[in-house]
Amino acid sequence: MKILKRILFYLFLTMGALIFIYPFYWMVAASLAPENEIANLTLFPSTFTLSSYTQMFEKIPIGRSLVNSIIVASSVTIGVLVFGSMIGYALSRLKFKGRNTIFYVIIFTMTLPFQITLIPQYIIMVKFGWVDTYLALIVPYFINALGIIMFRQYFKSIPQSLIDAARLDGCGDLKIIFKILWPNSVPALVTIGIITFMASWNEVLWPLIVIRDESLMTMPQLITLFAVGGRAESQLGVKLASAVVLALPIVIAYIFFQKYFIQSMASSGIKE
Amino acid sequence: MRLKFLCLTLIVLAAVILIRCGGNNSDKNTLSYWSSNNSYEIKYADYITKKWNSDSPVKVSFQPVPEGQSSEEVILAAVVGETTPDIYSNMWQGDVEAYAEAGILVPLDTLDGFIEFIYDRCDSSVVEEITSSDGHIYQIPWKINPIMLIYNKYIIKNLQLNSVPETYTEYTNASEKFKKDLDGDGYIDRWFGYAEVQVTWWQRFFDFYPLYLAASGGGKLIENNKAVFNNEYAIEVFSFLKNLYTHKYFAMERLSARQDVFLSGIIATRFTGPWEIAHSEKYKPDGFEYDFIHMPVPDDHEGPIYTYGDPKNIVIFSTCKYPQTAWKFLRKMISEENDLKFLEISNQLPRRKELDVNPLYADYFKANPKMKKFAAQAKYVKGTDASPVLKEVFDLISQQYEACVVYGTKSPEQAIKDAADAVDLLFLK
Amino acid sequence: MKLNNKITPYLLVSPYIFHFLLFVAFPVIFSIVLTFHKWNIISPMEYTGLSNYVRLFKDEVFLQSLINTLIFLVIHIPLQIIVALFLAEILNQKLKFRGFFRAAFFLPVIVSGVVVTILWQQLYGYDTGFFNRLLVTIGLGKVGWLTDPNIAMPSIALMATWKNVGLYIVLFLVGLQTVPDQYYEAADIEGASKWQKFFKITLPMINPTIFMVVILSTIGGFSLFIEPYVMTGGGPLNSTISAVLYIYKQGFFYYHMGYSATLGLFFALIILLVVVIQKRFVERDV
Repeated sequence: MKILKRILFYLFLTMGALIFIYPFYWMVAASLAPENEIANLTLFPSTFTLSSYTQMFEKIPIGRSLVNSIIVASSVTIGVLVFGSMIGYALSRLKFKGRNTIFYVIIFTMTLPFQITLIPQYIIMVKFGWVDTYLALIVPYFINALGIIMFRQYFKSIPQSLIDAARLDGCGDLKIIFKILWPNSVPALVTIGIITFMASWNEVLWPLIVIRDESLMTMPQLITLFAVGGRAESQLGVKLASAVVLALPIVIAYIFFQKYFIQSMASSGIKE
Repeated sequence: MRLKFLCLTLIVLAAVILIRCGGNNSDKNTLSYWSSNNSYEIKYADYITKKWNSDSPVKVSFQPVPEGQSSEEVILAAVVGETTPDIYSNMWQGDVEAYAEAGILVPLDTLDGFIEFIYDRCDSSVVEEITSSDGHIYQIPWKINPIMLIYNKYIIKNLQLNSVPETYTEYTNASEKFKKDLDGDGYIDRWFGYAEVQVTWWQRFFDFYPLYLAASGGGKLIENNKAVFNNEYAIEVFSFLKNLYTHKYFAMERLSARQDVFLSGIIATRFTGPWEIAHSEKYKPDGFEYDFIHMPVPDDHEGPIYTYGDPKNIVIFSTCKYPQTAWKFLRKMISEENDLKFLEISNQLPRRKELDVNPLYADYFKANPKMKKFAAQAKYVKGTDASPVLKEVFDLISQQYEACVVYGTKSPEQAIKDAADAVDLLFLK
Repeated sequence: MKLNNKITPYLLVSPYIFHFLLFVAFPVIFSIVLTFHKWNIISPMEYTGLSNYVRLFKDEVFLQSLINTLIFLVIHIPLQIIVALFLAEILNQKLKFRGFFRAAFFLPVIVSGVVVTILWQQLYGYDTGFFNRLLVTIGLGKVGWLTDPNIAMPSIALMATWKNVGLYIVLFLVGLQTVPDQYYEAADIEGASKWQKFFKITLPMINPTIFMVVILSTIGGFSLFIEPYVMTGGGPLNSTISAVLYIYKQGFFYYHMGYSATLGLFFALIILLVVVIQKRFVERDV
């Protein structure tokens, strides 16, 4: 009786897991199916074909957009880590006038909805001539309030003696941050790095606004426009193939670094 | 110590910002020309600029308009960033008025020989259509893609109709015959036609607007900053379409999210333009046959049947330093012979009079009989009314269209009246 | 050296100050100025007084977009909490393949919203969509997931729940692990039932997590954009147009920059108000 209950329980749980996995499976299977079978596909297509993928590669510069996404997300991540740790360090380990004010301003800006600044930020990009450049996608994201606060929090937990010792050795502040604190803050770096990278990678609204040149579009933007616009020429498989290609890099990373992903995303919520 | 490095970084960053602020200047002796970015037009632009550059001191360098969400947005971004080209050849007619009001286009009628040229190329009705409300002309009509009804020949034959449906009643009757629940699940899964159900304003170019032009004999939507479409024709169009949805002759689902429904025989007809030919030839199954006919009209319709021509026009931006030279180039680019070249390369119709009877083009139309139908229709096409708020006008009509036609929550009379009232509000200061 | 020590902190925080002035302070001020103007970017700005505000209060579509956002939140938040809590409770016991199940539930969280919307657009298809094929197979009628104005927004809320629930499962798991085991042991001694334990011990103990989830998904819900943009374009009958989508349309479709800024400002104030009220509740209850 107990065993039967247990089996049923696991069966139920597997069903639950399937609800989350099957749609992805369907998407991959459909992208590999001949166009006329997609509508009725449940498990396997009769034959596998890559034609949706070859067509997609002909229609949109997906490779280029992948490179763009990598450049943008990596630059943003590096920027957030560098600037975030500098500011987090100053706010947690240095005493100076206005420190608390800055801290509260940061907290306040976190609650400020982005809707309010959307239009003016676009205008700034236009006036700077940044529309249709990487700069528009990268520079505004260099400073991330959440990143700063998480660094500040983490650096607080590092023993003062470590910093004192470094100072005796004649280290400047930047050296302390990058040579002493960074090696001791790997979990924070990983967490902030993953959150930032993911957020940048998945951003669509801002690229839609500031990038018009197709060769500079990020992958989610390009595929969003592909899905909304007419260029898929009503070919369903092509749309699904583009979605698969968009999901692939992150899913691969997720498979290898699953634990870090889950921890990072969870802590981003907790620290809020 | 390391702070120096930091300071340096900040300075560099600031410098980058400042440098990027500067505008970009084009070469003195070159005219920049942006063409549309479809591959056929790129080919033509390449051909024509090479030809021009071979014997002219002032060169023209072309590039396809940077691909974006829509070319309108790209042009707007260029205007804002002051990076407009000298010549742009894919300007939607409905946008011209707003740009003209902002003073960023060259009034072409001030250029040498323009007036003679335009009357030579176009009928006076076309000239009237492209004249702005300030009396100037800011655009050269270049190409059109008239909207017509495509139909599946096999299906029409199998329905045992005497002819392809031409009027509302014929169309509706054929629809009734064709609609079917193929798999017996209690739901219609075969429809006579399909129109995009999305509210996006330009979707109405492919259903309401050409039907309205057909019914009204090329009537206007806007005149003297007032809505003039609250009339029997608009109401008839709404009733006709509404009826199609209520009886499930048209699908309410977004079929465009699926594989091509026309080529797979799930729908029998659709309102579309000549670009459908290239698409169909590429993807059609073996033995698939189709043709085109004018838009359906009210049963008592008399006179020529108009449609929407989706005109794309050429403009010269006021940033251009040599408008006279640019005009010389354009004159050559859209000459009779070069229009033929354009037609051959792109399968888009030049907007000039007597296209279908001009002997110069006869060979082309002989080889492309389906294009000939569009050329014949080209005599009766309209573009858009001159108004700086045309997008909003179409958007407001589209909102009412969705409520009345697709979801049937309003009577056609009420919907048209509400749309007209809302449009009139736009013009109130 | 001494001088250096004094200015060092300021140099270190200077990027933030630059950023704040340029991308936060200036935009907020500029936004407020814009609300009193009419501007399509290409022509010069035109002062129009309060007319943008007058228009806003008469704008039925904007009202509709606020109602839509509310509908989304009212469905999404409770559904999210119930499902997440339920699955977290299950995963919190001794379980084989726990890591696998957790990873499976988490999968949609990491995938881009664009992928999820393209995919669900197909699943929701009226005629050949997976859900309707399933419903017809088990003898039920088809549902107009994205075509019925009354159902489209709930459909999007359902999809959003599917996408985000993994994150909240993990958050609840963290919360559940903070509940001391002694509490349950004591309850066992008193002979409490499973449900009693859940309602009397678990729920009060993880109250802070629940409130956090509410706040997080409220903020997430307020920025709803890509889902309706890709799936429905805001239709049918404006039933899925979200406030952000409407602001985007006004600004970047019609280039009504002044009006779009007005909508943005007004909507931002609503969000601030809601978040402040929610925070009050949290602080009172914790």
